[in-house]
Amino acid sequence: MGALSKLLGRISSRSPWLYRINAGSCNGCDVELATTAFIPRYDVERLGCQYCASPRHADIVLITGPLTVRVKDKVLRLYQEIPDPKATVAVGICPISGGFFRGSYAVCGPLDNFIPVDVNVVGCPPRPQAIIEGIAKAIEIWRERL
Amino acid sequence: MPQSLSLLLAVLLFPGGLFALAVGLLLKGVDRRVAARLQRRVGPPLLQPVFDLVKLSRKRIFVPDSACRPIFLAAPVIGTAAMLLAAALVPIPGVYQPDPLLGDLFVLFYLLAVPAVVLMLAGSASGSPFGAIGFSREMMLMLAYEGPIVLVIAAVALRTGQAEGGIVTFSLSEIVRWQQAHGAFLFDPVMWPTLIAFAAFCPANLGIVPFDIADAETELLDGPLLEYAGPPLGLFRVMSALKAVVVLGLGICLFFPNAPAGVAGLLVWALKMLALMVVGVTALRVSAGRKRIDRAFTFFFRWPLACAAFGLVAVLVL
Repeated sequence: MGALSKLLGRISSRSPWLYRINAGSCNGCDVELATTAFIPRYDVERLGCQYCASPRHADIVLITGPLTVRVKDKVLRLYQEIPDPKATVAVGICPISGGFFRGSYAVCGPLDNFIPVDVNVVGCPPRPQAIIEGIAKAIEIWRERL
Repeated sequence: MPQSLSLLLAVLLFPGGLFALAVGLLLKGVDRRVAARLQRRVGPPLLQPVFDLVKLSRKRIFVPDSACRPIFLAAPVIGTAAMLLAAALVPIPGVYQPDPLLGDLFVLFYLLAVPAVVLMLAGSASGSPFGAIGFSREMMLMLAYEGPIVLVIAAVALRTGQAEGGIVTFSLSEIVRWQQAHGAFLFDPVMWPTLIAFAAFCPANLGIVPFDIADAETELLDGPLLEYAGPPLGLFRVMSALKAVVVLGLGICLFFPNAPAGVAGLLVWALKMLALMVVGVTALRVSAGRKRIDRAFTFFFRWPLACAAFGLVAVLVL
């Protein structure tokens, strides 16, 4: 039984579906996520990834932006709606330190005060290769939880 | 073998059930791979749909508070069961003949409507506004493509029936047998308008890109499937994989069932399925954009319906 469940877990880890949350980002990281990381040159589908439209389908969450006061509640609610097991990737410098928006009255980050972050991908915006590496690392972490 | 047992095996194991599921998932894998290659990407592994299914079966079941729980959870089960039965109804030329007890073309036609109805139920029971929009779009699309497919089925049944001396034949095995003896409808100019109408029906019924209006990811966030997570979502994927096998298999039976008997017949069938998937689904999917629901509605009432009606008249007159 243990071996079977382990095997199924290994198979499952080849199907990580990605969900993007914009927590008040300037859109720079989102552009990198939406286009660069998914154009032919940096195909992430080969890892089995797929962007899903609904948080209910998601396995790996990509969060961009410094977590502004106005979106905080919505982001937390959205995060709770994603069924376990899941892994979180913070994309860009903003979720880590506030980045460009650090110290602003409208920002309540850093993100890991509210949500457990598994992988940080730094950069403003990060390069596509870095995002893909972050996703690959998140898959490793997610596999342990399956 | 007693008949009840052979029927059960037909639904659960060979032409339906496990076999159809394996073929359907593999076809979906080929579809994703070829689509990626056409966009010069590497693409996912061929077995990706299987991985997805295993993953979904291990996630949590989620039922929203605002959902109607019994309908929400029953919808995918009903849809999958209907498609299992439908897969056992479609002959594999030269290999498998469905038992007349299971039903004929008429039963198949009704079973083909079940997934759309189930998606509507799922969307309306999920309690999400996106699900409700998906529900209304699915219904409009269904109203639009049911017309042509009725006429297509009537035309094929009439053509075979007249040729055999009767009026109509709604038995799929009879239609397959006649074509194997007298040549496929694919090469019969009288049937070409009907063929065009069927070609338009396929993507709409399968819900792929020009007509994936009900679960449009970018606008409706998967519409009726938005609130589903884990195993029920997996069941919906099983349903759509089975439906691909049923619809493409029906196309083969209606228009080009010529194949040798035995294992060679199975191989020919698999090749035809593959060709249909790549040409009819993948090539269309990567080269077209999504249509607006009102455009799709008027499109179906204009061209495919006209083609199907013309095809029916042609069959009656010629």
